[in-house]
Amino acid sequence: MLKIHNASKSFGSTRVLDDVNINVAKSEILGLAGPSGSGKSTLLRCIQKLEHLDSGSVECNEKTGFMFQDFQLFPHMTVLANLLYAPNLGKKNTNCCKNNEKRAKAMLKNLGIASKIHEYPGSLSGGQKQRVALARSLMMNPGVLLCDEPTSGLDVATTMDVVSLLKSIGETGVTMVIASHDLDFLTKISDRIILLREGKIVADMKAKNHKNPVDYLKKYYA
Amino acid sequence: MISNCSYIGKGLAFTLELTFGGVAIGLILGCLLSVLRHCRICIALINGWVSVIRGTPLILQMSIIYFSFPSLMGVKLSMLSAGIISFGLNSSAYVAEILRSGIESLPKGQFEAAQTLGIPNFFLWKDIILPQVILNILPAMINEVIALLKDTTLISVIGGMDIMRRSQIIAAEQFEYFMPLCTAAAYYYCLVLLIEFVGRKIERRMGYAKNS
Repeated sequence: MLKIHNASKSFGSTRVLDDVNINVAKSEILGLAGPSGSGKSTLLRCIQKLEHLDSGSVECNEKTGFMFQDFQLFPHMTVLANLLYAPNLGKKNTNCCKNNEKRAKAMLKNLGIASKIHEYPGSLSGGQKQRVALARSLMMNPGVLLCDEPTSGLDVATTMDVVSLLKSIGETGVTMVIASHDLDFLTKISDRIILLREGKIVADMKAKNHKNPVDYLKKYYA
Repeated sequence: MISNCSYIGKGLAFTLELTFGGVAIGLILGCLLSVLRHCRICIALINGWVSVIRGTPLILQMSIIYFSFPSLMGVKLSMLSAGIISFGLNSSAYVAEILRSGIESLPKGQFEAAQTLGIPNFFLWKDIILPQVILNILPAMINEVIALLKDTTLISVIGGMDIMRRSQIIAAEQFEYFMPLCTAAAYYYCLVLLIEFVGRKIERRMGYAKNS
């Protein structure tokens, strides 16, 4: 499904990814953990081709979707327009557009933000923006969803919402790679967690195989 | 008094022609310059142009265009054409800089978000980047129009009969400076207020809750 083979990347003299090898199975939810600067976001950006690897390769046979840490919604478009702009591009007044609109509205309703459909991103809370960003990515029907710090800046209640949202998306068969420094969140959501440190994989574990996965992972931070 | 006001007011059309002619050329050329700035071959040329225009006085640029063009190129330009061309060329350098700062002020993530959604370059610029850039640079562009309006007073140096020149003529004829110059000031101030009003309207119309 997604194969990362000997991936290496440096910024100047700093080696951010050092010979990383990862295979992600279809429908798997992979958590990428690690301290700040460990290479989690860079790895996601390399998978999405926002950064180029210095060496190694990323093979993915499905369309990828990307959720940015700071959402990057288009501020001059309403919530609905944010969702519809890319999928409707070049398709004027077709049935496809109507279907996309129906799907977008249904998705926003499921995410609990149906009332915000005609509002601009600037008037939404962090959690609402998060949901819009998620819906925008899903509108492109990605086979692999890459999420960069999806809970950063969110309160505990909203984080719990994001957990259940991402879980429900995972249940539809979408493969996910989620980068986060929040170990508690990752253990709740991931089938498997990889811990990166200074660009290298230092742990690769299945959360369900450990009695206390957070404590197990924390050892590697020391 | 009323006849003086009406005589000075007759320069209004000339001043507006100079301002909006200059703004139109400045906008078109400024946009062109900022697009060409992305082409490697043109960067040095455009940076040189911007540097020379910003580094020399407008009055000198206008004098070169009006006085030396006939001998250099065999073309005699009217005062209006010489004024519009020099104000337009001068403004283009500033517009190009305003656009550059507007584009650079956008987060890199906006380009990346469009890339991840598979939006082609043309639509990225047309629908995602430019609408945001225009809103960001609107206050600076309004300032540029106001500055250009006030700079048009320099046309009196080559004899253009704008508001300023007409007020000077009245002052010289009647040996009374205060009222004609205050009348000219009132005309310019009203024009500036009008431009500010229109600018605010456009800003409000284009405005959206930013802070995304």
